[in-house]
Amino acid sequence: MGMRQVPLLRRTKSRTPYRNSLMANTKRYWSGLDELHETEAFKTIQEQEFPGAQSVDEFLTDERLESTHTGRRDFLKFMGFSLTAATLAACETPVVKSIPYTNKPSEVTPGVANHYASTYYDGQDFVNVLVKTREGRPIFIKSNSQTGVGRVNARVNASVLSLYDGARLTGPMIGGSASDWATVDQQVSAAMQGAGRKVLLTNTVLSPSLKRAIAASGMEHVQYDAIDYSAFVQASEADFGMKAFPSFKFEEASAVVTIGADFLGTFGDSVYYAENWAKNRNPEAGKMSRLHAFETNMSLTGSNADYRAMVKPSEHGKVATALLKAVTGQGQAGTLSEGVQAAVARAAADLKQAGANGLVLAASNDVDVQRVVNAINNALGAVGTTVKYENVRLFQGSTAAITALTADMKAGNVETLVIADCNPAYDAPNAAGFTAALAQVKTTVSTAMFADETASNCNIIAPTHHWLESWGDLQIEASRIDLVQPTISPLHATRGWGESLLAWSGNATDWYTYVRQTHAAGYTADAMYTDSDWNKAVHNGFIGLDAAEAPASAYQGNGTADAVTRLNSRTGGAFELALYQKTTMGAGQHTANPMLQETPDPLTKVTWDNYVTMSHEDVDSMGLNGFIGQEKPASTVNVTVGGTTMELPVFPMPGQAPGTIGIALGYGRGANGENIGKAAFQTGENGSFLTNAEGNLVPVGQNAYPWVNTTNGASDYHQYDVSVAATGNTYALACTQIQNTFMGRDSIVKETNFASFFAERGAAKGEASWNKVVKLAVHEDVNNDGTINAQDAKPTEAFDLWHEHAVENVGHRWGMTIDLTTCTGCSACVTACHIENNVPVVGKDEVRRHRDMHWMRIDRFFASDYSLERGEEEGVGVISSYRKMEDASANPQTVHMPMMCQHCNHAPCETVCPVAATTHSNEGLNQMTYNRCIGTRYCANNCPYKVRRFNWFNYPGYKKFANFNPAQDSLMRMVLNPDVTVRSRGVMEKCSMCVQRLQAGKLEAKKAGAPLEDGSVVTACAEACPTHAITFGDLNDTNSAARATSETNRAYHALEEIGVKPNIFYMTKVRNVEPTQA
Amino acid sequence: MQKEAAIREPLILGDKSYKDITDDVVGPIQGAAPIGWKIMITISSIIAVYGVGSILYLLGTGIGVWGLNKTVGWAWDITNFVWWVGIGHAGTLISAVLLLFRQKWRMAINRSAEAMTIFAVIMAAIFPGIHMGRIWVSYWVLPLPNQFGSLWVNFNSPLLWDVFAISTYFSVSLVFWYIGLIPDFATIRDRMTKPFAKKVYGILSFGWSGRAKHWNRFEEVSLVLAGIATPLVFSVHSIVSMDFATSVVPGWHTTIFPPYFVSGAVFSGFAMVQTLLLIMRKGMNLENYIHVKHVEYMNIVIIVTGSIVGVAYLTELFISWYSGVEYESYAFINRFSGPYSWSYWMMMTCNVISPQLFWFKKIRRSLIATFILSIVVNIGMWFERYVIIVTSIHRDYDPSSWGEFHPTSVDVGIFIGTLGIFFTLFLAFARFFPVLALNELKTILKSSGENFKKKQANH
Repeated sequence: MGMRQVPLLRRTKSRTPYRNSLMANTKRYWSGLDELHETEAFKTIQEQEFPGAQSVDEFLTDERLESTHTGRRDFLKFMGFSLTAATLAACETPVVKSIPYTNKPSEVTPGVANHYASTYYDGQDFVNVLVKTREGRPIFIKSNSQTGVGRVNARVNASVLSLYDGARLTGPMIGGSASDWATVDQQVSAAMQGAGRKVLLTNTVLSPSLKRAIAASGMEHVQYDAIDYSAFVQASEADFGMKAFPSFKFEEASAVVTIGADFLGTFGDSVYYAENWAKNRNPEAGKMSRLHAFETNMSLTGSNADYRAMVKPSEHGKVATALLKAVTGQGQAGTLSEGVQAAVARAAADLKQAGANGLVLAASNDVDVQRVVNAINNALGAVGTTVKYENVRLFQGSTAAITALTADMKAGNVETLVIADCNPAYDAPNAAGFTAALAQVKTTVSTAMFADETASNCNIIAPTHHWLESWGDLQIEASRIDLVQPTISPLHATRGWGESLLAWSGNATDWYTYVRQTHAAGYTADAMYTDSDWNKAVHNGFIGLDAAEAPASAYQGNGTADAVTRLNSRTGGAFELALYQKTTMGAGQHTANPMLQETPDPLTKVTWDNYVTMSHEDVDSMGLNGFIGQEKPASTVNVTVGGTTMELPVFPMPGQAPGTIGIALGYGRGANGENIGKAAFQTGENGSFLTNAEGNLVPVGQNAYPWVNTTNGASDYHQYDVSVAATGNTYALACTQIQNTFMGRDSIVKETNFASFFAERGAAKGEASWNKVVKLAVHEDVNNDGTINAQDAKPTEAFDLWHEHAVENVGHRWGMTIDLTTCTGCSACVTACHIENNVPVVGKDEVRRHRDMHWMRIDRFFASDYSLERGEEEGVGVISSYRKMEDASANPQTVHMPMMCQHCNHAPCETVCPVAATTHSNEGLNQMTYNRCIGTRYCANNCPYKVRRFNWFNYPGYKKFANFNPAQDSLMRMVLNPDVTVRSRGVMEKCSMCVQRLQAGKLEAKKAGAPLEDGSVVTACAEACPTHAITFGDLNDTNSAARATSETNRAYHALEEIGVKPNIFYMTKVRNVEPTQA
Repeated sequence: MQKEAAIREPLILGDKSYKDITDDVVGPIQGAAPIGWKIMITISSIIAVYGVGSILYLLGTGIGVWGLNKTVGWAWDITNFVWWVGIGHAGTLISAVLLLFRQKWRMAINRSAEAMTIFAVIMAAIFPGIHMGRIWVSYWVLPLPNQFGSLWVNFNSPLLWDVFAISTYFSVSLVFWYIGLIPDFATIRDRMTKPFAKKVYGILSFGWSGRAKHWNRFEEVSLVLAGIATPLVFSVHSIVSMDFATSVVPGWHTTIFPPYFVSGAVFSGFAMVQTLLLIMRKGMNLENYIHVKHVEYMNIVIIVTGSIVGVAYLTELFISWYSGVEYESYAFINRFSGPYSWSYWMMMTCNVISPQLFWFKKIRRSLIATFILSIVVNIGMWFERYVIIVTSIHRDYDPSSWGEFHPTSVDVGIFIGTLGIFFTLFLAFARFFPVLALNELKTILKSSGENFKKKQANH
């Protein structure tokens, strides 16, 4: 029977090894003399297969074995256990096989990032960048700070996501169905050779190669810009003989007056301004420019202004004329309120004192305003120092030109229309008229990447490359050509529109060669144009040229009297409207970018929406909701402008001029169901798309472009008489921050004025009146005055429950200083952090539930009129005082405070974790071990800074997030940083201080055999900051910039009195205001 | 034989003999289930199933199905946890502390109070489990040898202390309860005629034979367990309170918490015992064993502990002002005047004002008033935990992160569900277990029984 078989194992009792019996008849080889002589020792060893251990034979012949018994049932038990154990062990994540390179490209090493210089231009932002690629995939965009100019903002660094947008066209289309390039080329070429007018419509073209191709094609070229600056160009031409958008030199300015121009956020060539402006905001260096803002909406610039006055759109011109009067004595000041008059007088006094270093700029796209501004700048002597009129390339688009083109199209005078790099059916003046007129054009060709509002109305779509896939050249200055180089092979069957244009004009040259040819003659020095020169230029991202700009002619303004009269006579109705662009969203190019949609607006902190901003005064008088909370939705209003009405939610906005409203442009895209990307559409509470009555998807926000006025051939972003009516409806808004003020908690935010700072600039750290170290009273005679009283206090450092971490002066101690003086709140750090660290996008509904996953946030605090001291003076109780302190002033001062994990040396989160999933590294980092975390959230509750974020759902997999989370899109997933884990459901996450970068940097230093150099490793946020407000470094490195700044008397720890000893320092905010107004 | 003064109210009413006691307790187990019981267990098990469904949905989807957020990381989950643990306290207090103090009136109530403790602790234990983001690795809170290297639990964390405190408490309470049940199971076994039931109760009674040796061991073990359980009454809720007291959150970081939590726990536990017993005595005709005297004694405990709790609330307020700490003082001002002040005033009314009604003898001895107030107290005690947890963290240090908490249907469903599970378990207990400690009761029949007192008086 079966049982009998078992002894089989025991049957072999022979002590003769099997091989010996074989060897008997064959030749013998000896492994050594021992074997030859067959010594005893050898025999013993020979019998053991593994000398030193018991041999199998020995084991099997062991008598004791007979007494043991392994029966069938035991055997089955062992088998069963092993099988179960093996099965359970196999229940881990599915195995994904990756295929290695057969022939590895020499420049690609798996796991090592490559950076390529390139240039970003989308018609609005123009900036030199470095593109980080991993295994051939671009995953991150940062400023090219070595050879480039300009600083990447939130819009630019988040734009890497659009490369992987699943809604991109994968090939050419004719009449709405897929086609091929041969057919498209044949049809368009035929149209180009046919009779009739052939027009190319683009935004401002900066590329010399494109200009060459356009000229060669023989097409008529019409340019317009989504955000029109043609009045600036007209004014420059009238006053300085140059069709130029003014170049503002903030680095030269000591007094800046802005009338509505949000130059730190979206105005003009904003990527250049912030960094230069911040150069003169350095209190330690004694350089503190002063910024006066006159504005309608609370803009990013206004929130950073030293003095800010609220004016209505109809008063922008009057402020300009009043300034002109105050500075030059010419003209007639407009009628303004007393407060604004005082603000104008103060601004004028500063301007006069600054003289040539004064700068006035206004956002009004109105020739009259611009000419008055030109006159002021000229009178100050600022032309040539703080403002130059020589830029003949930027913003050359013209509203007048596209208006004329639309009329021609409507009249049937255009035979062929090619539209490139613009979306006129959405953002052109009279977009509806343009769309209708498209039908009158025989052949319409769009080169858009998406079947957007314009492309879906064109006969032919010849999709162009994403800029990360294309070659290109761009020029805004005479002295340099900036280059665009591809960092990935085209993902789809697309073709750069320049190359398409060549093909359609019968030129078979490929675009790369064409671009090179353009610059073969571009060099002025001899024999420079070689492959190696070209490669060097591509490596650096630009070609330097010897040419210089033609100087502008002297001021030739022939009097501003008429302009002044016109401006002073402008009046407005009950409500005036100022259209604006959001810092995070721009003019609408980025609507389908989930990362930008979820980046809160720096002022309102609202995500995923467009709304009306209205002053508290108006909100209260109309009986609308004045506090937007999780379950406290916004009231909606019907806004009517010139016969068209839209229903929009109202956001009560401190700093909004009473009697005015603000609405952002750039929303409401894809309203007719155009497939422009999933994140452009609203999702409901369960994550599915919302649809309207026609069955179309509901876009995020509403399109305010139809309300852009065309006045004197320029687009006017102001409406002087609009009606606003409450509807009684509500609409949920998703804010990342619902509290406006910091409740007088001055250990969170410390601020002072420049005079007070300057008076005590030499004070020791912790001694200056504006940054006193926090002390706690003790019951001992600390000051030796013989009595124990409230003066006997010790700094919080003296009280300690815990053992010190041995981080001081041992190895690295990573830390940061954040200068609240130069932080503008622009949010470039926020998007950089989130892209670097694969921070999940969670959608509007989750943000509304206060569940944003932001590792890096910027706390925006408005000042309040009220304080406990004031309450005491006025005899108001503490409870009422606290209530009043929750309300911001009508025109508040603002603080932008970047907040992320403070990497406390005595971290409250670390002590409470039951499983030690969050611990302190010996480099001072508070580190989170995701795969140890069991998700009790105790650490988040115990974090005084509330920076910890919990994975409430499986964001990369749960259906609620399928329509916007990049990790859920098979293509967009490619943007994820492979160095950073995508966190699973149920674990806590937070800022890691980009530990992956620190590790990589340390490895580099180790390979180089040299100590880590200060600045060679930098976190994503510090790298992205356009004003260099964030300084990252090793606090143990006595030469590091971070250490130096952390030791200045402006440095402090937020919430110092809790004694958690963070590694992040904040630098006291210094405002350049008079001491009485601090 | 211990004598008791005739002037004392008897603890067992009616002309009861030893056999009567056995009949009264074992009779319902032997008989058919009454219709009222069937209705109640149907309702409560439907609610229990709904609760289990909600829990499964939570586990399948993620903690996001609750209303928690980045600011308020704990709300109903830990509120329910602390509430249930608190309720559990009465059982141990009655069985252990009152045993040591030789309070004989406890004998009528200790069995069901202990059962309540066991079930409440089970309900409590659900919440720390399911509130974890990754319940499938919840065993990591145990200091088990592991393959992760030298990875160990964090002994600094009060949550870990909780794990030890609750598990110790649960096991000691369970053993204590079971030891007490053994002689009574044996009595049931002896009365059972159906072979299956006889077998089951035979196993449950561990071969109890009623020998003097057995009784001797029973008494000794009870005493030893009472000695072990008594400190646990105070330690468990002290440790639970340290989850809050050791944190840095204003409103949590309070040294008064351990005694305050313990008295609050006894307070709510006694209220829950009142609620359950008043139903049980009516449904099972136990009026002779659990009568006004017992209810009055328990109400006195409720006044005392309720007043301690009230003093603690006022002390907290005073200290928040006296400390001069900005954050602390704001936390308490916000508690009574902020967005969640309604819950604070709910707590104050239910916990501080309502038990003071028991100073009136009429109310103290009124069963209906007691029943209503016991429910009011438990509502108040739930709000106490809610106030401590939610109003403290929804507005703590950094105003930029101030937020709100709004419960979802899953929050509500799971809480109601645990009530369903609890009542299902308790009803099953009432049906199949001896609800009174009948053998212990017999020991006082001759000293505190009404008939014996009468006989004494006649002498």
